Amino acid sequence: MAIIEVSNLKKSFGDLEVLKKITFNVDKNDVVAVIGPSGSGKSTMLRSLVHLEEINGGSIKVAGDQLVKDGVYSKPQEVKRITSKMGMVFQHFNLFPHLTVKENLELPPKLVKNEPTSVIHQRSTELLKKIGLTDRANAYPANLSGGQKQRVAIARALMMNPEILLFDEPTSALDPELTGEVLKVMKDLAEEQMTMIVVTHEMGFAKEVANRVIFMDNGEIIESGHPSELFDNPRNERTKAFLNRV
Amino acid sequence: MPQDVATLAVLPRGGVLALFVFGGVFLSLDYITSILGPMLEGAQMTVLLFLIAIITAIPLGFLLTLAVKSSFKPLSFLAQGYIYVMRGTPLLLQLLFICFGLPMLPVVGEYLVLDRFVAACLGFVLNYAAYFAEIFRGGLLAIDKGQYEASQVLGLNKWQTTTRIILPQMFRVALPAVANESVTLVKDTALLYAVAVPELLHYAQTAVNRDFTIVPFFVAGLIYLIMTLVLTVVFKVIERRFKFE
Ligand SMILES: Nc1ncnc2c1ncn2[C@@H]1O[C@H](COP(=O)(O)OP(=O)(O)O)[C@@H](O)[C@H]1O
Ligand SMILES: [Mg+2]
Repeated sequence: MAIIEVSNLKKSFGDLEVLKKITFNVDKNDVVAVIGPSGSGKSTMLRSLVHLEEINGGSIKVAGDQLVKDGVYSKPQEVKRITSKMGMVFQHFNLFPHLTVKENLELPPKLVKNEPTSVIHQRSTELLKKIGLTDRANAYPANLSGGQKQRVAIARALMMNPEILLFDEPTSALDPELTGEVLKVMKDLAEEQMTMIVVTHEMGFAKEVANRVIFMDNGEIIESGHPSELFDNPRNERTKAFLNRV
Repeated sequence: MPQDVATLAVLPRGGVLALFVFGGVFLSLDYITSILGPMLEGAQMTVLLFLIAIITAIPLGFLLTLAVKSSFKPLSFLAQGYIYVMRGTPLLLQLLFICFGLPMLPVVGEYLVLDRFVAACLGFVLNYAAYFAEIFRGGLLAIDKGQYEASQVLGLNKWQTTTRIILPQMFRVALPAVANESVTLVKDTALLYAVAVPELLHYAQTAVNRDFTIVPFFVAGLIYLIMTLVLTVVFKVIERRFKFE
């Protein structure tokens, strides 16, 4: 069952056509890895889903609700309700530096969700345990390592109970020895059947954890399929060339 | 005696000066006590102006920043023009204009004769608001756009994003510059002298003229130093409190 349906998505920055009529679906519980050379439009595609970018044409449907239809967005309230089904993890974490780890987790649901504080607190406690940072609850982001920051960012996204989690190169800003701890948390989430779209350069992760890989180049989806097909038997020349380079 | 002169000769010039100053100050302790009363009274005026100016100019400066940032273009241009004029002309000129210029305006002038101190406060507030506005604008520029994006994706609305995420960070970033500007404000209060409001410097100058000694200048300098020191310490404490580390 498709939880995200994207059809003919077009996006330009001025004269630069960044996404050229992209069409793809993501099924519930899928882990989709999006790979491709830098500048191919991966981030723009992800950001369009959560309305960080306004698209110029095409349709996006999330969990049955129409975010955009043929380039026309739903009402702002609807857009907000629909995008709230998705959480996003950024390359540069974007934690709130003036808040402690615990406050980073608890402030957004306190402001946005209609939940008792005790429920929010309970969830933050569980999530801190899950990412292994219970003892850092009162630390400020400035005092965390990159890997710890990204784990907090994942927990912060999860605090909103999203149905889908989007990752934009979550390990690209990390020292190589710190990527493992973040990938581990993501792998755990995949095992819990979280629906995820992960833009990544970690081919190992894509092979091992994703059940589908999308290869993008120059604003188009060139090829997509199960990791075993796409990595071992790429059909398109551009895919082959890209895989040979990385 | 020749020995003394030799000793003095090898001392660096600043040392000689310090020797005279300290000697002079030490010898005239009674004198200092006698001028301290009026000078501290003048210092009260200085402190009062400082407090009025800083307490009013900071919020006003912040409102100016919001006006500059406003998407309503006329308001933005107006605020930018205001800041440009206030920062581009000397504070002294602005003070003289408010004290002596406004009353000379045709028709309305007679209603604009303000008490000197009130006029000076007005001048300081209007001037410093422009500087604080620029500081806060710089603080806003320093905030990464990722902060807005994370807030949006987490579902925070504009108001929540501004008040809970952006402003606290803006104030943190602006703090050192605000501290710096505040120290400048303390020293700028000496401009009251020019519009004949009796403050610290005024009393010092009076004593110098009357008693033919420069000691009052040093006392005044010392009082300014103490005030700026206290201010610096206060801001250091605030900065440490909001270090977020
Ligand atoms: N805000 C923007 N304004 C103008 N051009 C942009 C903007 N964001 C991205 N681009 C351009 O769009 C293209 C795709 O960018 P992006 O989606 O970030 O690619 P990727 O994530 O695959 O590296 C690039 O050529 C990039 O320079
Ligand atoms: Mg990118």
